[in-house]
Amino acid sequence: MRGRTAIEKIFAAHTEDEVAPGRVIWLELDVRSARDFAGANVVKRFREAYPGERVADPERTFFTFDCNAPANTIAYAQNQQICRVFAREQGIAVYDVDSGIGSHVLMEEGIAVPGATVVGTDSHLNILGAVGAFGQGMGDVDIAFAFRHGRTWFEVPPTMKIVLRGRYGYPVTAKDLTLFLVGKLGARGALGKAVEIEGEAVEALDMAGRITLCSMATEMGAISAFLPPSDPLWEFVEEAAGRRDFPYPTPDPDAEYAEVLELDISGLRPKIAAPPRPDNVHDVADLEGERVDTVFVGSCTNGRYEDIRLVAEILKGRKVAKGLTLKVAPATCRVWGKLLKEGWLEVLYDAGAVITHPACAGCAQGQIGMTGEGEVQLSTGNRNFPGKQGKGPTYLCSPATAAASALRGKITSPERL
Amino acid sequence: MIKGRAWKYGDDVNTDVIFPGRYTYARMEPEEMAKHALEDLDPEFAQKVRPGDVIVAGKNFGCGSSREQAATCLVAAGVGAVIAKSFARIFFRNAINNGLLVLEIPEAVDAIRPGDEVEIDPEAGVLRHGGREYRFPPLPPTVMEILRDGGLIPHLKKTLSKEG
Repeated sequence: MRGRTAIEKIFAAHTEDEVAPGRVIWLELDVRSARDFAGANVVKRFREAYPGERVADPERTFFTFDCNAPANTIAYAQNQQICRVFAREQGIAVYDVDSGIGSHVLMEEGIAVPGATVVGTDSHLNILGAVGAFGQGMGDVDIAFAFRHGRTWFEVPPTMKIVLRGRYGYPVTAKDLTLFLVGKLGARGALGKAVEIEGEAVEALDMAGRITLCSMATEMGAISAFLPPSDPLWEFVEEAAGRRDFPYPTPDPDAEYAEVLELDISGLRPKIAAPPRPDNVHDVADLEGERVDTVFVGSCTNGRYEDIRLVAEILKGRKVAKGLTLKVAPATCRVWGKLLKEGWLEVLYDAGAVITHPACAGCAQGQIGMTGEGEVQLSTGNRNFPGKQGKGPTYLCSPATAAASALRGKITSPERL
Repeated sequence: MIKGRAWKYGDDVNTDVIFPGRYTYARMEPEEMAKHALEDLDPEFAQKVRPGDVIVAGKNFGCGSSREQAATCLVAAGVGAVIAKSFARIFFRNAINNGLLVLEIPEAVDAIRPGDEVEIDPEAGVLRHGGREYRFPPLPPTVMEILRDGGLIPHLKKTLSKEG
């Protein structure tokens, strides 16, 4: 028998069907979730299709509210309440508007663990590759079906391997590596494929960096990205789940890959994605001097404690540029609390930042608001499609570039600090 | 058999322009959803689309947000199939789960012009256009069964009642 790639290992442990690229299998799902975006439609679909019936397993079914939390439109509030009422009827746990970004909460709570299969209504749920779990965003019918039956159909994707040669150091960060890969591969570079990324630079990532890298697999068109396990990963898993004995999906040495790509990353410099697409990637140095009106630090890509602390460290004792607004949204309540207790929120406040609830914030047109026409935004998020976060143009960058640019009021490379 | 006129678009048509985010929270009925299909890409589409018409697009159709309305609004508008060079995978699933035929036939995409008549026989794996036949590999059996039954939930209900 041929060796298995990471995703094939996870699938083989969750199906009785033959696992090979191109085969459609019935996949058992360890975790089924819905967020406030689409959650109410999942409930509607469930009620229509399965009147009076129960979800397959309430212990494995979750709601996570993060798109608009707490709700700032009545429509969102209504939809969240529809989910809560359904959850009470069915005995399902709700991570409510005070929790943070659902995918992060699932990792922090030890619900998404190495080797697990997880579905939800978040198109960045493949971020769970950061802990070695299979995560997949799906539509309302899919999730209603998963709630009821605990399984779904899935086409086994081919796997592509990316081997990174060389390493980088600060002020180049995981986000710059990620943007480099998105730029290199493009929006379709890994379309429909699972991606395994390895190399010295990947092994050196902290947990926040693993999350950053895996989160933008979506922007490469990938089904999911997987990384080799590391000490920071196991420390995170132990804290979240209280144990480490999970089957990490390490690929077999004789696994078959559709494509192997070797990339040299030595000499990597801070990167930025200019409007209107995440794969429109440049060196920050080449766009320096362009005016910035507002800076957003947060999102599932860069809303971890390490990301926001880095911004605070850069801003410590200084002020953001006059006329510029800096908005900070920690990914989760736990991240928020740690930043608060360690004094980093005070540092950000003193620098002139506004700090908001833990949730998706700008990326979901959520609680930090949107941009108006001509309002230039720098975001540590993952998408800058026109209209996604309002009428203004959005640039994607690392927390370090965001902080450096906030200080000067124009796009600035952290290499200058 | 699906027969209709072609509506042709380019690469990377994202779900925000297929079904605008500003409507994702209005819990619309299908007829209302159909009125907003492709609103931010081609305002004429919703007014002029006829049942059986086919959307023809380039690479990565349906990229971006996972919103299922991107597929259901096309079903509601009567679209018979989407032919593209490639699809974003979440959209691909959403389409199949809602009984919308989605096919990757790159050569046909290049040949078809806006307004052309297109005929598709999914069971036989043939697309006919301009006197030419394009053969395409059949979709995996499970996927074809889901499509024949009109979507994922009807499919499993049928399967379960048979096992029953």
